[in-house]
Amino acid sequence: MNEELGIILETTSKILSKHVNHKLRQNVDNENPDLANLWTEVEQLGLPKIAVKDKFNGSGLPLSSTLPIIKLSNNIGTPIPLSETILSNYILSESEINPPNGIITYAIDAKDLKIIGNEISGDLISVPYLNLTDKIIFITEIDNSKQVILVKSNTEEKELKKNFLSEPRYNLKLKKCKILDIKPLNLSINFKYLGAIVRSAQMIGAMEKILDLCIDYCSQRKQFGRALSKFQAIQHQISEMAVELAASSAALSTITNSEVFYKNNKDIAILKIRAGSAAGKIIAISHQVHGAIGFTQEYELAYFTRNLNSWRNDFGNESYWEDFIGKDFLEKNNKNLWEYLT
Amino acid sequence: MSKFNFPSIEETNDLSELRKDVRSFITNSLNDKEFEPAADAWVFSASPQFSKKLGSMGWLGMSFPKKYGGNQRTALERYVVTEELLASGAPVAAHWIADRQSGSQILRYGSEEQKKSIIPKITSGECFFAIGMSEPDSGSDLASVKTKATKIENGWNLEGRKIWSTGAHLSNYMIVLARTSPASEKNRHEGLSQFLVDLSLPNVSVKGIPDMTGQRHFNETLFDNVILSEDALLGVEGKGWSQVVGELALERSGPERFLSHFTLLESFINEFKDILIKSGSKLIGKLIAELQTLRRMSFSIASMLQNGESPETQAAFVKELGNKFEKMMVETLREFSNIIPLYEWPSQLQNLFEDATLRIPSNSLRGGTTEIMRGIIARQLGLR
Repeated sequence: MNEELGIILETTSKILSKHVNHKLRQNVDNENPDLANLWTEVEQLGLPKIAVKDKFNGSGLPLSSTLPIIKLSNNIGTPIPLSETILSNYILSESEINPPNGIITYAIDAKDLKIIGNEISGDLISVPYLNLTDKIIFITEIDNSKQVILVKSNTEEKELKKNFLSEPRYNLKLKKCKILDIKPLNLSINFKYLGAIVRSAQMIGAMEKILDLCIDYCSQRKQFGRALSKFQAIQHQISEMAVELAASSAALSTITNSEVFYKNNKDIAILKIRAGSAAGKIIAISHQVHGAIGFTQEYELAYFTRNLNSWRNDFGNESYWEDFIGKDFLEKNNKNLWEYLT
Repeated sequence: MSKFNFPSIEETNDLSELRKDVRSFITNSLNDKEFEPAADAWVFSASPQFSKKLGSMGWLGMSFPKKYGGNQRTALERYVVTEELLASGAPVAAHWIADRQSGSQILRYGSEEQKKSIIPKITSGECFFAIGMSEPDSGSDLASVKTKATKIENGWNLEGRKIWSTGAHLSNYMIVLARTSPASEKNRHEGLSQFLVDLSLPNVSVKGIPDMTGQRHFNETLFDNVILSEDALLGVEGKGWSQVVGELALERSGPERFLSHFTLLESFINEFKDILIKSGSKLIGKLIAELQTLRRMSFSIASMLQNGESPETQAAFVKELGNKFEKMMVETLREFSNIIPLYEWPSQLQNLFEDATLRIPSNSLRGGTTEIMRGIIARQLGLR
């Protein structure tokens, strides 16, 4: 990790920790959660445009370098669409659109889109945090070429699709909505792959926090006259969580340490599979060792496990990527398995 | 959790070239019918001739210093060579323990004379080692060993028995963990020492124990008042525990913790590729993802070893995850027999599968049980 990134991480950690508490997280579903102060400071740090080109007033960091920041933000459990904004701004900037200021989100999917003149109609599917912004990007194919489209939604046409799993999530019907900008998508890699990487980094940040919560809780909570952490049955369950987390982190470091991560789809698939399957185990074990308190809104564990539930399904679940990599090996090359792996 | 990081290490071109060299060597050996690919070959498939040939290629004792006849190459180079050998199911059992851990222990703790006389022979594939840790009454609880070494004039008297000593019947030496003074009440880890024991000495007897597959690979080794010379003491008297912990990091982190049955997977895929394309890509993808993650973690540990770190906890992670992976792999293939019944598999593949099925319970016992691995991790997490 270079020194510059180290300083950014340290400052980010201070600022997020200052603002984020569990009460703030609990309000995130509201129409107007009070996140203005937090977002202002995040913007002053330059985080939203950290992967945006210099000429658009960004910091120009490679996207892989932003992953530790995204991971940190979700380790602290920051209830703002930072990863969504960083990724949206990156895509705009790469495609030569000057990213607007403020929060911006993306639609994970879009269908039945019709463009007439400067207006677009159709369905945007699974849009995170639409309660905090009206600016959305999405990707669609027009005449065999992928385009990135930036719109400002008409808030009246928004229908909340409550996502029980985690943060606010919406489906949206655009009706003759004005297009703010449209350009050919200029990415070396699919949007889905980028999303899979970012969601994995978020999951790993959350899983680190969950492990810490489990260790703290089990060290303090006493039953049968001793701390839960002194029971071997508990120790072994928590060790299993640590193993899952370590494997996911190893898969992530392959991506973060590589400037050209987009050249190897295989590593991206492995990361999403590894983080997603770890999440499944960690959700189950962390709730098991916490007992009933972990099942309340009042205690913070559920905020993190709910997010994991959602993120592991975004941008392809484990099955999707297992099938992807299995096909890549079985159908697209004539190598034997060992040659393929090495 | 930052202390459990596994930094990503890229394979350089030099390493890839080395990989190619080893691979073509193996292909030639296979063409010359020098060996038959075997499951769990690092435990079960010993060929002193093959070991000697590897020695002559410079692929044993790779990281040992030139001064003692070693090749002075990196831990990463050694990693690449061992990976290639394991993936091909080559007969590496004879030299495995000497090359993996005993040589390093001698280089670290042995006398100048021991280094000069033994290390060159390990490097040339002519000197084999067995592990002397477990005893009939000491399995996971290694600190409870009862084998005793008593100081006598000009040396030591060794008395006790070691068990599950893989390959002892083919080995020249065993590094024996023994009590040299009673355990203190506060610290059971005190008073243990390691000894370098020549297995050809009088009063040493090695008796095979058939395992559940009917094969003989492990043994009971009896030391009935064996007289050892003074310099048989390896390292510092009373510091055997910390020495043995370091040895275990070498033992647990390598690719044998997830590639023991790779030949089975490879042959299975080659045989059933057409069917897998139709209905098995998800299963194979899952195995690839896990295997590749393990390879990265183990390679990362090799680089930590290269940097002189002691990645004992990281080794426990790899062992725990690797053991799970191998069990999952065999189980995945077994479920596939739903599509093509086992009796229709080619006989060589059936044999590999049956070998693996029978041997798989031992993978999470040898080198430390799952329970011990989880205990090590829990301690590092501050739970104990």
